[in-house]
Amino acid sequence: MTSRCARWASADVRVPALRAAILVLFLLAWEGVARTANPLLYVPPSAVLPAFGRLLALESYPDLVPSLLLTLREILVAYALAIAAGLGCGFALGLNRTIGRAYGPILAALYAVPAVVWYPSLMLFFGLDAASKIAFGFLLGFFPITLAVLAGIRQVSPHMLVVARAFGARPLVIFVKVMVPAMLFTLVGGLRTGLALSVIGVIVGEILGSRSGMGALINHAYGLFRTSDYVALVLVTLVLIVGSDALASLVERRAQRWTD
Amino acid sequence: MSDLIVVESVSKRYVTSSGPIEALHDVSLSVGAGEFCTLIGPSGCGKSTLLGMLGGLVTADTGRLLVDGRPVNGPDPGRVATVFQDAGLFPWRTALENVEFGLELQGVPRERRRAVATELLGPLGLRDFAEKYPRELSGGLRQRVAIGRALAIDTQIILMDEPFGALDEQTRLLMGEWLLDIWRRTRKTVVFVTHSLHEALALSTRVMVMTARPGRIKRVLELPMPYPRAMESAEMVALRATLWSGIRDESLRAMGER
Repeated sequence: MTSRCARWASADVRVPALRAAILVLFLLAWEGVARTANPLLYVPPSAVLPAFGRLLALESYPDLVPSLLLTLREILVAYALAIAAGLGCGFALGLNRTIGRAYGPILAALYAVPAVVWYPSLMLFFGLDAASKIAFGFLLGFFPITLAVLAGIRQVSPHMLVVARAFGARPLVIFVKVMVPAMLFTLVGGLRTGLALSVIGVIVGEILGSRSGMGALINHAYGLFRTSDYVALVLVTLVLIVGSDALASLVERRAQRWTD
Repeated sequence: MSDLIVVESVSKRYVTSSGPIEALHDVSLSVGAGEFCTLIGPSGCGKSTLLGMLGGLVTADTGRLLVDGRPVNGPDPGRVATVFQDAGLFPWRTALENVEFGLELQGVPRERRRAVATELLGPLGLRDFAEKYPRELSGGLRQRVAIGRALAIDTQIILMDEPFGALDEQTRLLMGEWLLDIWRRTRKTVVFVTHSLHEALALSTRVMVMTARPGRIKRVLELPMPYPRAMESAEMVALRATLWSGIRDESLRAMGER
């Protein structure tokens, strides 16, 4: 028992230590390479750090907070729409044979198209403001959620449905007490991927063309060769993305413990 | 004795990609209250179809089925519980929660159903496994949980579709003894489907031999002997030979059809 505890403890230490090591190694390499290159294009971490400080002190970009909030809001709306439409479409296609056979292939064909080809038309339809970013985030998040629902439905063992029916479960009860728990892990995995892609959609949308939001700030810094500010902005965006994914993975792990 | 289950000239035909298959042809039988009635016959003889009909999961093409005088019209968890060959436990529920499932569907309050299920775990030999998930249980224990799930809703009738078919022989023998004990304590009416001659003779008050497809009742064996039965006695050995001679031809026919 003690040796097992010791092994656990050492793994708890070893994993973060290894993680920190690669980070330090990466920063050192970056510093070394950047110092020898054109400082206008390549900034070393030692120059990013002060830029990061200036950014957080709202000196370089005073509208950081509203930009961040706008991007967050766009992500939330895009993701909420992707969940609603993804669950709706997924269940409609997966539970109804006729609808599934009629529209399943269309969905698969659309999914195969690189989503970014739609973005220019989204900007034409929805303009340069939030709506086109939301639409793009929605589009990217929608597919993995729909496909996860379809995959999840296929995973539900028909035998379990027969058992539930034998015990008198009606369709709605079967749905809530058997289907949803049986597919939960796949479903949550799809929701996690959907969130990641909604975030990507919104940010890519902002970078491709916008007047406000984190993408607009990144574009601004990059366009003026304010490279250290640019890297600092990217870091802030990265924290946003990694944070949302960490949250999603927490939810996913809970679901995994719950399901088989 | 009034008959609890009555089956009157029931037929069933399935349509498959290779043409229609007649699963059951004009089957009639009746089962009295408190009986342990076994259906035995070759593979594909429609035993499971017949059981599915009694459970309200399969509809008959012709004929009718009555349970306690009322026609079977869909699953009726108030009167009939079913145990399947594949335990079909819900992997996200513990053993205890699986046993509670039927009660939960009937809207029994949490406290009450937990009490009922917990009390059942003792005789089921599952007391130490209440909080275990199905993946942590052996095949035999899983099947006990499935039987517990059926017992929990306390129906008059329990249908068992080869409940021990997937278990190894030793586990199977023990589970048979255990089931007999449960049955004698609860005095429920059991309709039991099996391939095993031993199970049929050791457990049943009556054995019905079915023919190869299309399934019909070929002969009925009454087994009034007391339990536990000495399976090596001359009487049981002779009965086994009789039973086997009845099934053997049908099994040969069923094999020839393949």
